[in-house]
Amino acid sequence: MFVPAEKVSMTLGERLSAAVGVRGDRSVEAARNTGAAEGTRDARRSGPPGVRIRDLSVVYRTAAGELPAVSGIDLDLPPGTITGVVGESGSGKSTLALSLLNAVQPPGRIRSGSVEIDGLGDVTRLRGENLRKARGRHIGYVFQAAQNSLNPLKTVGKQLLDLGRSHEIRDLRGLVRDAKDLLGRMGMDGARVLDSHQHELSGGMRQRVGIMFALVLNAHLVVLDEPTTALDMITQATILRIVREVHEERGLTTFIITHDLGVVAEIADRLAIMYGGRVVEQGPTTEVLGAPRHPYTQGLIRAIPRLVGDLGEARALPGRPPTLGTVPSRGCVFRERCDLRMDVCETEEPPAVPYGEWIVACHAVAARDAETREEKE
Amino acid sequence: MTVIARRLAGHLARGFAMILVVTTISFVIIRSIPGDPMRARYEKLVEQGMSPDQAERATAALYGFMPKGTLWEQYADYMRGLLHLDLGQSLSVPGAEVTTLLASAATWTILPVLVGTLLSFAVGIIMGVYAAIKRSSKLGDVLAVSGSLLHGLPQYVLALLLSAVFTTLLPIFPTGGTADVTLEPGLNAAYIGSLIQYATMPVLTYALAGYGGWILAMKSSVVTVLGDDFIMAAELRGLKRGLIFRYVARNAILPLFTILALSLGLLFGGAIFIERIFTYPGLGLLLLNSITDRDYTLMGGAFLLITVAIVIANIVADMLYTAIDPRVRSGQEAS
Repeated sequence: MFVPAEKVSMTLGERLSAAVGVRGDRSVEAARNTGAAEGTRDARRSGPPGVRIRDLSVVYRTAAGELPAVSGIDLDLPPGTITGVVGESGSGKSTLALSLLNAVQPPGRIRSGSVEIDGLGDVTRLRGENLRKARGRHIGYVFQAAQNSLNPLKTVGKQLLDLGRSHEIRDLRGLVRDAKDLLGRMGMDGARVLDSHQHELSGGMRQRVGIMFALVLNAHLVVLDEPTTALDMITQATILRIVREVHEERGLTTFIITHDLGVVAEIADRLAIMYGGRVVEQGPTTEVLGAPRHPYTQGLIRAIPRLVGDLGEARALPGRPPTLGTVPSRGCVFRERCDLRMDVCETEEPPAVPYGEWIVACHAVAARDAETREEKE
Repeated sequence: MTVIARRLAGHLARGFAMILVVTTISFVIIRSIPGDPMRARYEKLVEQGMSPDQAERATAALYGFMPKGTLWEQYADYMRGLLHLDLGQSLSVPGAEVTTLLASAATWTILPVLVGTLLSFAVGIIMGVYAAIKRSSKLGDVLAVSGSLLHGLPQYVLALLLSAVFTTLLPIFPTGGTADVTLEPGLNAAYIGSLIQYATMPVLTYALAGYGGWILAMKSSVVTVLGDDFIMAAELRGLKRGLIFRYVARNAILPLFTILALSLGLLFGGAIFIERIFTYPGLGLLLLNSITDRDYTLMGGAFLLITVAIVIANIVADMLYTAIDPRVRSGQEAS
């Protein structure tokens, strides 16, 4: 569901006005929250945290040795923004999302780099209880809707109490009230949902319950891993609207992983395109989608069928994305499928070059930019 | 509640029909075994050294107890008796009611098998959890291999092995029987101690024979649950380890409850080999003897007891599952 650039700017505009309109409510919300559960105050008082990912590399141990799933990623999540990460399967986007909670599953491990989160420090250094308490309390994680993120034997309410007890929330009644408010805010009957088992909820309802769990302890950094995959179009739209609204109301920093450019166009302020474990292009969503610079991003956008015009105009990218074992160890990871391939692409990994807020890692783009600059001079 | 009652009623009706069918089939099969009780008795007596004449006379006394009429009439008589919970008279133990024989044998089977099964269940479950958690380490391997070994070993081999080791090589336990015959049966410490001593070998065999299955089943169940998304979700929400462990355990143990209920039903069949090896006078041994003696009524009674026990165990397993798994509960509400 790709939305053309004009539409994006329109939704952006709408969102901005919505944000301004909601701002007043947010302070009310904050005031209410500060009065609630004592133990969560510190988390509530601080606004949305910023996140700085620096030179992050994650490897998976395989029979062929340790293979990189994520290589040297630099990415900033400015406080209060929604950042979308787009990539194909195997591009390392889910691994990146798990790194934000230092939760890369064995046989994977974070080999180097840091993930600095305001108020928490470098999460890659957190261990044991400190790490456990950061999860849920400071960082909320929302699973894919198709994944069953709830214990099938317990009601949502009981699992909520388990969550509260795990994080030493003394005012459990307040927690339940917050959960009901959140569920109600997302258009559900809170009391009924808390009384339900997972199998009694639809996909869209489960996803909203997942969002409730991520937010109920008042985490201000929320990571959503493919939140709309496996949902029908209408439910997708509803979930995205809810994510956007809750983001504004509660003052969050949101990180959303998807393989759907349409999702990112819909809600993200900033966009990062991943390929072969690297961020190849990142920048403000409207600009990147409006005039992509990296040949991979261009290819992705060309591959989307338009609402009007010939279906044949959509052209698939030739070739296949690399897997863990086939990512080239030197040179550009995308060169096998690239139109703009040059000699230097074989040997040297393209550095990430900033063009204002916009960062592109491509030799060809850098060369072309240098040419135009020379011509101007 | 009414839903559960209705479900139970359905189970009972089906169970009753099942019992009827099995009883009929076993009646026909029992009567089709070559030979008859009188002939079996006669041969046994001759084997014991009686002269053919004496044996014939001794056997003639049995005649009065033999079922009369055509097979069809016998069947009708038998079923009529069953309606009054009358299983008839034993043909091999003159003057004894089948129900009395079954009841006394059952005490020697149910308790040891129950203790053995529950013991192996408890130990197997706990070890299964460890084997699953430590599955990539040496300890996990050792546990899993111990399970496979014991699971693969036939019960009677295990019984003979234990018997050889603990009654012959290292005579700690008696070779057979239920208690020291010189002791006065009753509620005194010496007799009860002797009961326990004599029961140890059979119970140990039951426990070891069951353990392998439980540890393997629990291990695979735990490994499956550990890979479930909701466990990772619980971790990423920062749930305490103890709570996550409980999430895993409760979900993993669920399918095993069904197996447990069913294996408790099978316990009424007795363990023929084990009771034979330890000459423990339980249901298995009783059934074995009744077959050798062609004791129609006793065989029929033993089969009936086994059938009823298994049908009830099935119902219990199903109701238990309904009680602990909310998914089954609502599934039936929908239907």
